[in-house]
Amino acid sequence: MIKKTARIINKLGLHARPSAILVTATTRFKSEFFFSKDDLRVNGKSIMGVMMLAAEMGSQLVVEADGPDEEEAMAEILRVIASGFGENT
Amino acid sequence: MITRRKAFRGVPVSSGIALGYARIIHADSLRVDEITITVSRVKAEVAALERAIANTVKELEALRNSAGRKIGSSVVKIFDAQLLIANDRDFIEHVRDQILLRKRNAGFVYNSLVRKTTLQLKNSPDQYMRQMVQDIEAVSHRVLSYLGGNQTQSTVPLPRDTIVVGQSFSPGEVMRYRQRKVSGFLVGKGGTTSHTALIARSLMVPVAAIGDSWTDIPDGSRVIVDGTKGTAIINPTDTDWADYQKLRKRQGPAAITRIKKLRKIPPRTTDGIEVRIAVNLEFPGPADEILSVQKIPVGLYRTEFLYLESDSFPDEEEQCEYYRRIAEKFVGSNVVLRTFDLGSDKMLSGLPIPPENNPALGCRGVRCMLEMPDIFKTQIRAILRASIHGNIQILLPMISDLSELKKARRLISLAMFELRKQALPFDEDIQVGVMIEVPSAALTADSLARSADFFSIGTNDLTQYTMSADRANTRVSRLYSPYQPAVLQLVNMAVRAARKHGVPVDVCGEVAGDPLALPLLVGMGVTGLSMNPSRILDVCRLVQKIDSQLVRHLVGPVLASNSVAAVKRKLQSFRNALEN
Repeated sequence: MIKKTARIINKLGLHARPSAILVTATTRFKSEFFFSKDDLRVNGKSIMGVMMLAAEMGSQLVVEADGPDEEEAMAEILRVIASGFGENT
Repeated sequence: MITRRKAFRGVPVSSGIALGYARIIHADSLRVDEITITVSRVKAEVAALERAIANTVKELEALRNSAGRKIGSSVVKIFDAQLLIANDRDFIEHVRDQILLRKRNAGFVYNSLVRKTTLQLKNSPDQYMRQMVQDIEAVSHRVLSYLGGNQTQSTVPLPRDTIVVGQSFSPGEVMRYRQRKVSGFLVGKGGTTSHTALIARSLMVPVAAIGDSWTDIPDGSRVIVDGTKGTAIINPTDTDWADYQKLRKRQGPAAITRIKKLRKIPPRTTDGIEVRIAVNLEFPGPADEILSVQKIPVGLYRTEFLYLESDSFPDEEEQCEYYRRIAEKFVGSNVVLRTFDLGSDKMLSGLPIPPENNPALGCRGVRCMLEMPDIFKTQIRAILRASIHGNIQILLPMISDLSELKKARRLISLAMFELRKQALPFDEDIQVGVMIEVPSAALTADSLARSADFFSIGTNDLTQYTMSADRANTRVSRLYSPYQPAVLQLVNMAVRAARKHGVPVDVCGEVAGDPLALPLLVGMGVTGLSMNPSRILDVCRLVQKIDSQLVRHLVGPVLASNSVAAVKRKLQSFRNALEN
């Protein structure tokens, strides 16, 4: 299991479209994903969960990946978050 | 409850006229009962849940595909996120576990877990986060309708003359009702810039928003909806009914098809003066084909849809692709692209624009874009790059003084400079026009004309700002009329300034498509009129009956009138003379 932190950098935060992009990315991997913000820890493959985080711009997420492809998966997810989901940052 | 004839003046959402009978839809018609179930019933409830999810997914996929076919790939995104929400396995497992654990019916458990999720979002201080609730609720309503039965989700065709009345409808609901052949909508709340409005307009379904009054309409009442004017009549008289039937015939989708019959475009007056007849568009739609074949120019292409459909500003490439497609579709005629006209009231979500007490007088149009120069420049660069694929012009909304025009032009020059440096081609002679929609712009039109390549007079906002009256506010809406002498004087002032400097001048408000105003506007010397597609046929025919020299003499007496009634009386008697 690996655990990293990531910051949401796009202006509008983790709203519907970025959440969809993030979940589409996590479900491509075999590894399990969990995202946590404050006291809330959600399944990273669930869009309802990711939306529930209500992660606005600047918020810190803890990303956990656990599984056979966790290294590669973690790198990809961190990249997606750091890219700002292709939105204005 | 309304029992007698009652007319409402509201806000136009999607143009067109519908006549029919009210079908009242209450949002709370979706009630979820809490039922305790036995262990033996758990399996059936879980199966019902899975079926409801499968049906919802099927429905959303169908809607997405038909949106893609009818409207274009752009709207598809709205349904993509909803599909992911419906298909969220983790969430569904959670519902299953809870059905088993709590021994409650599937609908109740699903609903309570949805509420738990949305509560978190509703409490977020971030406006963008709160907006996600709508997407989640749109999905949960579908699922719950399968688990409880709900009339809004039925697919049985309604009688053809049904007018659906309710607080507000999601884009999916509008599409579904349209498939069920309803003829129009009367809603409580419905901004002209919402997703729903966008879809209604592209499907050409008339919609008017009349505020809370809709709750007083009894089910089954006779209703007339005028989505072009934003008005409605409940329990209309037989005369109303007959009048609107005629009007619908003239303005309906059929009127657009009849554009094909037009031989002479642009039409000429009896003394041979060409009047440029153009169309106002805001979204790729089914009428585009007819319009482009007939070489009808686009006098006003609103670009807000680009922002609205994705809830954010698309990047340069994406925008450029859109503008290129528009330019290519209308190749051979001009397309005037108006830069984003957004303000605090038109923002769906969390742009860096704080809410304002008075959005109409706040940071909107070009004021707002100048505050976000990066976003503005991206749009300008995209328009410029698309300009080599057709004949594009740029129109700046809400210019209120010369300094704003100069700032915007500097930004355009900067974008051009960058493109040259990057060796990206664009139309070096692209025309930049100014929207005249604020009284100060009309009053200083003479100086604006020196720095503008063309004018477009937006009479809707010009009327609102001149009369200081919101058309949607029924207590002051009697003041709101483009036929107010004060408004006409400002229009005339702008037209004269344009003519003096040899700058083309269009009128693009609603009045541009009004046969009553046509002789006056031609008399003032406007060079073009840009209107809703459904108005083109009537206007073109009328232009051919007008003598441009003769109508000049209308201007003085009409402007000297001291009331809206007097203005209309004079114009009406001229029109009667013209048609006899």
